[in-house]
Amino acid sequence: MAEFDLTTRMGQYLDRHLVFPLLEFLSVKELYDEKEMLKGKLDLLSNTNMVDFAMDVHKNLYPDQDVPNSLKGKRQDVVAQLKSLQAETELITKIFEDPEVVRQMQSSRDGRQLYEFLNKEHGFEASMVDTLYTYAKFQYECGNYSGAAEYLYFVRVLLPSTDSHFLDAMWGKLASEILMQNWETALDDLQKLKDIIDSNPFGSALQNLQQRTWLIHWSLFVFFNHPKGRDLIIDMFIYQPLYLNAIQTTCSHILRYLTTAVITNKSRRRTVMKDLVKVIQQESYKYKDPITEFVECLYVNFDFDGAQQKLRECEEVLVNDFFLVACLDDFIENARLLIFETFCRIHECISINMLAEKLNMTEEDAERWIVNLIRNARLDAKIDSKLGHVVMGAQAVSPYQQVIEKTKGLAFRSQMLAMNIEKKLGIKTGDLPQWGQE
Amino acid sequence: CWEDREGRKQMSKNNAKGLTTLRQKLKKYNRDFESDIATYRENPDEGEEEEAVDSEEEKSDEEAREDFTKMKAAKEESRPSKKVTYDDDDDDDDDIDWEMSSDSSSSESDGGEGPGTTVYTAAMFLKKQPGEEKKEKKEKKEKRVKKKREEDEGGEWEEVTKGAPMIKEAPKMFAKDTEVNHEAVIKKLNEIISARGKKGTDRNEQIALLKELQSISNANNLGPAISMKIMFHIISAIYDYNPNIATCMRSEMWEKCLAGVSELLDMVEANPDINIGENILEESENVTTPPYRVRGCVLTIVERMDEEFTKMLQACDAHSTEYVDRLKDEKEVCVILDRLQTYLVPRGTTEEICRVYLRRIEHMYYKFDPEAYDNPKLENKSFKDMEEMCKFIYAKDLTDRLRTRSMLCQIYHQALHDRWYQARDLMLMSHLQDTIQHSDVPTQILYNRTMVQLGLCAFRKGNIRDAHNALVDIQSGGRAKELLAQGLLLQRQHERTPEQEKIEKRRLLPYHMHINLELLECVYLVSAMLIEVPYMAAHEMDARRRMISKNFHHVMRMSERQALTGPPESMREHVVAASKAMKTGNWKECKNYIINEKMNAKVWELFYKSETVQEMVTSKIQEESLRTYLFTYSSVYDSLSLETLAEMFEIDQGVVHSIISKMIINEELMASLDEPTHTVVMHRTEPTRLQSLALQLSEKVSSLVDNNERIMELKQGNLFFQKSGGMQDRQDRFQGNYQQNRNQNWQDRRNQRQNYSQRERAY
Repeated sequence: MAEFDLTTRMGQYLDRHLVFPLLEFLSVKELYDEKEMLKGKLDLLSNTNMVDFAMDVHKNLYPDQDVPNSLKGKRQDVVAQLKSLQAETELITKIFEDPEVVRQMQSSRDGRQLYEFLNKEHGFEASMVDTLYTYAKFQYECGNYSGAAEYLYFVRVLLPSTDSHFLDAMWGKLASEILMQNWETALDDLQKLKDIIDSNPFGSALQNLQQRTWLIHWSLFVFFNHPKGRDLIIDMFIYQPLYLNAIQTTCSHILRYLTTAVITNKSRRRTVMKDLVKVIQQESYKYKDPITEFVECLYVNFDFDGAQQKLRECEEVLVNDFFLVACLDDFIENARLLIFETFCRIHECISINMLAEKLNMTEEDAERWIVNLIRNARLDAKIDSKLGHVVMGAQAVSPYQQVIEKTKGLAFRSQMLAMNIEKKLGIKTGDLPQWGQE
Repeated sequence: CWEDREGRKQMSKNNAKGLTTLRQKLKKYNRDFESDIATYRENPDEGEEEEAVDSEEEKSDEEAREDFTKMKAAKEESRPSKKVTYDDDDDDDDDIDWEMSSDSSSSESDGGEGPGTTVYTAAMFLKKQPGEEKKEKKEKKEKRVKKKREEDEGGEWEEVTKGAPMIKEAPKMFAKDTEVNHEAVIKKLNEIISARGKKGTDRNEQIALLKELQSISNANNLGPAISMKIMFHIISAIYDYNPNIATCMRSEMWEKCLAGVSELLDMVEANPDINIGENILEESENVTTPPYRVRGCVLTIVERMDEEFTKMLQACDAHSTEYVDRLKDEKEVCVILDRLQTYLVPRGTTEEICRVYLRRIEHMYYKFDPEAYDNPKLENKSFKDMEEMCKFIYAKDLTDRLRTRSMLCQIYHQALHDRWYQARDLMLMSHLQDTIQHSDVPTQILYNRTMVQLGLCAFRKGNIRDAHNALVDIQSGGRAKELLAQGLLLQRQHERTPEQEKIEKRRLLPYHMHINLELLECVYLVSAMLIEVPYMAAHEMDARRRMISKNFHHVMRMSERQALTGPPESMREHVVAASKAMKTGNWKECKNYIINEKMNAKVWELFYKSETVQEMVTSKIQEESLRTYLFTYSSVYDSLSLETLAEMFEIDQGVVHSIISKMIINEELMASLDEPTHTVVMHRTEPTRLQSLALQLSEKVSSLVDNNERIMELKQGNLFFQKSGGMQDRQDRFQGNYQQNRNQNWQDRRNQRQNYSQRERAY
């Protein structure tokens, strides 16, 4: 199933640290050669300060070799650097540990006000923010995400939004929250970051597009882990033209996640599906995988055999996807329902036999499933158990009814109109001189 | 003769007055040429020649005079400007300026060949100057001489004057003992150039002279820079040769020009150390020692050459061998552009590079490369080049025009090679549809061409609706030819002014770039048929159906108006016949009308790999016929077997299933499938005629009520307006107007209502 693996495509839009979970996941699934995976990890680690982790990986990769000296040297460097940075920021961290400051921080919303307060009370200086920023960055590089998040929070509050580090701090904060799996705060940060990007601080369209693409990829972590995520992903990716454009131009593979989100979203599926199908069709020459093809089969070609075939493939794809593995059952269930719904709209009489095959179930299961649907009043149908058919209820509307529907309110409306005119005539007679003026 | 007071006195008052004004105007005019006149006065070197032709001249004196007056007449007819004043009679005023007048008239002489129409002027002429025969003779002689010379050179009549004597001596160029060095050559060059653009310069001579000078300088080893400098001047002299921008240069000239330009490029390439620039001033030029600096711009020269090339092609008859011969030079032009590019890319400014890239793109975009078509995966040279150049322009260009043009060219190129998605995406991303009407006409033409090509590509790819949408704008007005700049249309309402016509002619594209109009129309009509026929079948009862393609309906109506319809001959008739067959769901007949030998020869063969296109068209016809059949005859059936349908239309059963499913889902067909028996069961909700009319009536009534309510709302708005006291001032000001409008609106509404009621009655 490696052909549908998107990790390489996604990796280029993610931070080093964010790729780790993906790689971990892949090595568990054993899609690729273990050795190569480890090499990849080592490469990835080479530019971070997570030396211990790198050493572990190295050991795994070459059990018979010693850890190279370069790594050991690096470790010492990192520790030394950490110490010096710690010393530098000690003062600052002290300030922030002061309960008075914490209280002030929570009460004051404005960064400038806070800054003035700190400046007056504790001799806080502008350069200290920068030190704090470097320290946070270092913490992040070392894999200490909670520390990084904490410091970056301060940095973000204190920095003016025009500062060059401001956006970096935002990204860092988001990454840290994601890596700590604080989805609630991550969602907040995501929203803030999105607002900033949408306010267009760069000027150039290209840069905006890049930032959006990154945001789209990072947001996947949040959306597929936060309970409200699947609603939000639809809102953001389909109904915000800027993001839809970004997906269409730079990263059409996101359509997989979008499609999954739409399919598993019961309440809004119907309305969204049409728009989604349009996008999928437009991009079909650029990106295709079983999930989008499933939708295409079902809603464009009405090819139920194809859809069922794709559904089987989808299962495998989902199992091997870091983001989607959690919603596998949900997806399968909903996809079945989709097939069945569409099927019912077209057919009048279906044999359970065939249905079971189409839905990838046994016959008995299928029958039970349908009975459940009928009982829950989601389906107007009856089962003919002798022949093994499901017979749909009639749905046609007779023309008589249509005429009645259409003309129902007319008499009342006309009456109202007549009354209004009479009323107005009364007023008009009073106003007549004014009308006659000209 | 001005001094001849008696003579003047004898003249009629009018004539005398005329003479005075004439003299003044002449003086004014001559002021521009004072130095020339002075030099001539010092050196009237035509004496000998005059003697030689004298006797002969005397014989033809009478005739000559007549000729002259004729010329005058011609002049008067053709040029009612102030020039007329001097070339009439100036010879009797001053014995120097006659030359000019004679020259200017001689240039016109071929026009005035018609036999003596202007007796009156002749008489006047005679009356005025009884003793002036001599001068006139002289002048006539002079004219002859020149005429002869010009004829020898095979040149057309141009103004030839004072430059002539100097040029006559030219072959000597330098006196024997002068040392030929840089200064001397440059001096000479400047001397020659200074005659440029003057009235009397023989342009042909000038070119020859410059060439001579170049060879002299080369012979004396004066270095490449000076030779290059002269080359620049030679080429511009060639461009100058034709004074009229509307007409093209003659083919000999063109060949010379082509050779000159490629020679220049040779030089430029051979001497990369020479600094060439437009902005280098005449003074700061350095042609003697390296580092050389030469003023000039290769790019401009090549661009001009390219334009001239287009003009040449425009002037040729597209079906003649001459055109083919000319077209062979296209290769040469491309090579020159290529070389220019390799020269410019490392040293030119981005703007210059963009310009040369665009030139190359414009020579490339319309050429079909079968290799690129066959291997879409393979990285093809033309694609790579195109992409590279376009990307450069997108990134670096500052003027919007170059970017727009290169983008359109790229889309065209991609569409031509059936890269539908790329072409479509680029078109959509460019947002050109919104802004194109603000751009210049040639770009709009290019846009039209691109849209057409995009439409054809969509058609080949089977995206019928897209094809229709892309072509509808071009095709709907019936002015495709004009919109694509492939020919002028006769305009019925208003004549073009000659000016306008000239401009439009200049825009026309050379024949080899044309898009076949019949193909275009056929593709449009076939796609309209495939959309429109099922639509009409589905909405037969619907009173308010809209037309998708007006053009298609027009064609259909035209054929219906005919009393007798024979077997189809033209492409249009074929499509009409096919549409009629499709209406009854007869796909085989439809297909036979669309795809047969005649149509193949006319249309389909024009596509590369026409078989695939034909297959596509066939399958589309099958599908759409099936749809039409179901729409038209569903009321007759209770149930239909999918197998029968599949057999009838020779389509795969799966496809039939999917088509019917689509129709059911879209609520076009009131039916449902019976899965165990593989049949379509009609729901019989297709209303009967009475029912459908009742439905329509109910719709009408409800829209009537809606309308009433809307009127009421408007009225109420009015009342509200009157009541609000704060608005009193404005109200006073506006009320007159406002009420009037209101009343009018109301009137309209009432009319509408009457219409409705009338229509209702009709039902």
